[in-house]
Amino acid sequence: MTGLQTPVKLPAQTELQTPTKPSRLWSTVFAIAVGAVVLVAGAGLKITWSDLPAMPGQIAHYLRLMFEAPNLEKLPRALFETWRSISMAWLGAIMCVVVSIPLGMLAANGVGPWWLRTALRGVFAVIRAIPEVIIALILLTVTGLTPFTGALALGIAGIGTQGKWVYETIESVQEGASEAVRAAGGNTAEVTRWALWPAAAPTLMSFALYRFEINIRTSAVLGLVGAGGIGSMLSNYTNFRQWDTVGMLLIVVVIATMLMDAVSGAIRRRIMEGAKVRDVARSS
Amino acid sequence: MTTGELAVPARPTNRFRTALIVAAFVAFTVATCIPAIGGIDLDVGAIVRNWRNGAGKMLQLLQPNFAFLPRTWAPMLETLQMALVGAVASAIVSVPITLWAASPTNPNSWTRITVRTLVNIVRSVPDLVFATVLVAMVGVGALPGVLTLFLFNIGIVVKLVSEAIDSSDHGYMEAGHAAGGTQLQINRVTALPQTWPLFANQWLYTLELNVRISAILGIVGAGGIGRILDERRAFYAYGDVSVIILEILVVVILIEIMSNLLRKRLV
Amino acid sequence: MHTDARRVEAGDIPASTSWPVELKSVSVTYPNGTKALQDVSLRIEPGEMVSIVGLSGSGKSTLIRTINGLVQATDGTVTVGPHEITGLSGRRLREARGHIGMIFQGFNLAERTDVFHNVLVGRFAHSSPFRTLLGLPTKADRELALRALDSVGMLEKVWARANALSGGQKQRVAIARALTQQPSIMLADEPVASLDPPTAHGVMRDLRRINGERGLTVLINIHLMDLARQYTTRMIGLRDGAVVYDGPAGAATDADFEQIYGRPIQSDDTLDARA
Repeated sequence: MTGLQTPVKLPAQTELQTPTKPSRLWSTVFAIAVGAVVLVAGAGLKITWSDLPAMPGQIAHYLRLMFEAPNLEKLPRALFETWRSISMAWLGAIMCVVVSIPLGMLAANGVGPWWLRTALRGVFAVIRAIPEVIIALILLTVTGLTPFTGALALGIAGIGTQGKWVYETIESVQEGASEAVRAAGGNTAEVTRWALWPAAAPTLMSFALYRFEINIRTSAVLGLVGAGGIGSMLSNYTNFRQWDTVGMLLIVVVIATMLMDAVSGAIRRRIMEGAKVRDVARSS
Repeated sequence: MTTGELAVPARPTNRFRTALIVAAFVAFTVATCIPAIGGIDLDVGAIVRNWRNGAGKMLQLLQPNFAFLPRTWAPMLETLQMALVGAVASAIVSVPITLWAASPTNPNSWTRITVRTLVNIVRSVPDLVFATVLVAMVGVGALPGVLTLFLFNIGIVVKLVSEAIDSSDHGYMEAGHAAGGTQLQINRVTALPQTWPLFANQWLYTLELNVRISAILGIVGAGGIGRILDERRAFYAYGDVSVIILEILVVVILIEIMSNLLRKRLV
Repeated sequence: MHTDARRVEAGDIPASTSWPVELKSVSVTYPNGTKALQDVSLRIEPGEMVSIVGLSGSGKSTLIRTINGLVQATDGTVTVGPHEITGLSGRRLREARGHIGMIFQGFNLAERTDVFHNVLVGRFAHSSPFRTLLGLPTKADRELALRALDSVGMLEKVWARANALSGGQKQRVAIARALTQQPSIMLADEPVASLDPPTAHGVMRDLRRINGERGLTVLINIHLMDLARQYTTRMIGLRDGAVVYDGPAGAATDADFEQIYGRPIQSDDTLDARA
């Protein structure tokens, strides 16, 4: 034990009174239980797991088909469809925001009456719990499969989450600001207009843009089920197994999404920073 | 806007800026409504016409056919299995990739940027698009579903956790470096326990998300409850569709409650 | 076999080995253009107890970090015992650091890790990465960690999480972590700045004991003049990255401090006045 030639001046051979290590029995049992459930779940799936080692090779083969020489012939059409998807996302976001801001405000504590608050929150919760795509899908069967109905579906399906964000934002800015207006004799409408709205507006704008970013992805998905746009085109060419075109379309989707994310993200940051600067200026 | 500007009330400039923002907003919105360039044809009439046809379907939706319920158990179980397997597989793989993508745990900027770029590319592909392409590659079934969830989850966990690591206090790393440790040693002994709650939180979040997503993956052929949802919809069996949606709603809420309980215990 | 070679090397160092430190016209310029150190030359003999005094921004934090290479000198050379730190990198730098213990103002413990594993961080440079990854310390490493904890009176907290400890306890665990390295020199960067006065004295006493009992070279960055006078034997004053004082700590007058600080002495320059 060379390690024991320590410079420690204490008598090195005295027995240390080391406390006993706390038991980790329960976390071990828990980990084993989780592991067992996962194994059972994995075995229950109708997947031939022994094929898995061949998977990377197979996927590499298709990746080569898609990206070795992406077919640029259909690029103009792809850009056209991309704009259609973006339009769907944008108009859907506008509809969603226009509806959810007033509804969300009414659902905030201290703004709407309790029965309305409870009802609205219930509606938001239900919409939130059902996947957006399913809501959109159902609406599309009723209204018909067009890009416009796609936008409408996005607008309605997003209300659940957006409405929740609105009332949470309103509730978080409520302290202080609203008291001043109320002290000056303002009623609920005046408090909302002059205290809550100015304080919450930057955050709400930022959330509105965020909704647009989410919709960009969801609109491509709606396209897959027939609402038009880049998703429909991708779905078609995947069914035709024209891999070189699929590759080009995927590149377009990735670039368009990243670009929109970057632009929208930059604007969101500016909005929030602007709000911060104003806050600082106000408080100093 | 700077504090300097605020000192001198520059209302006209603000007004000009506001006008510019409004103009940009209007121009973008108008451009999204021009069908000739790919924008959307705002044909409200068509919706009204279709709505009349669709009203009956809506009524059917409000009358769930509970007799259909037993036939949904197996696909719902498959959905949950896919969600769990996808979440666990991605949880294991996400740890090294995340530590690779965060700057305190990976000082090498080249590998860090490469990993981040790849993850960002994966993140920008919508889930069902992955599923569609993977179904075409490996065939219909649960496998493309699990693969989709796996990729999707890695994107989320790596992005959120690596950003959290970047912005958290990591003084303990300096101690590890000062003691002559390699980055790998420091990550294993100190960074991993330190970031474990961040990981656990995101893993639970991906599990919740997976239940929602795997419910719809079947629409493009990737297994689970979505498959029969799409099938019943194609047969206009809206009573059945309605039961499936209610079932998804219940399962999603149950999973959320469970994961909130777990979250409280873990963190 | 790789592992064996290292182990022998770690054991080879006699218990009393204490290293000198030599800086030859060391300058540090940060990438943003800040000149943190300008032409600093120093020699610290083995077993000295040295305080480095100066205001924040005077370069004392940079100075202490050039000694273990956390900050690399832009110019000049830093030699610690047999190692010329300047120009070392990778494995050889880590090996050198393995013999240089360091404690910090913010303790720098992994808060969610238990005390035992925090202390084992001190064995990083002396143990095989493979064992670290599997979380299997050797018996010898384990013994070293426990003895180090015992010597700072923290053994009973060995399985507690770091975030359950008080500030003074954290700093003692940090000292144990450094001792576990079996260091040949000990660096301390503002070790008591985050502690209350009684605890601060306790930590300073621990450092003095390490210096006295083990004959270790100890360098302490500190801005509190009374602690520098009371606990250290030699004092180096830094101002704007240059050495402006170097002499016995006990004999340093208030005037000397005013010269180092470049301003009259204030109440927060001493610990006892702050208390």
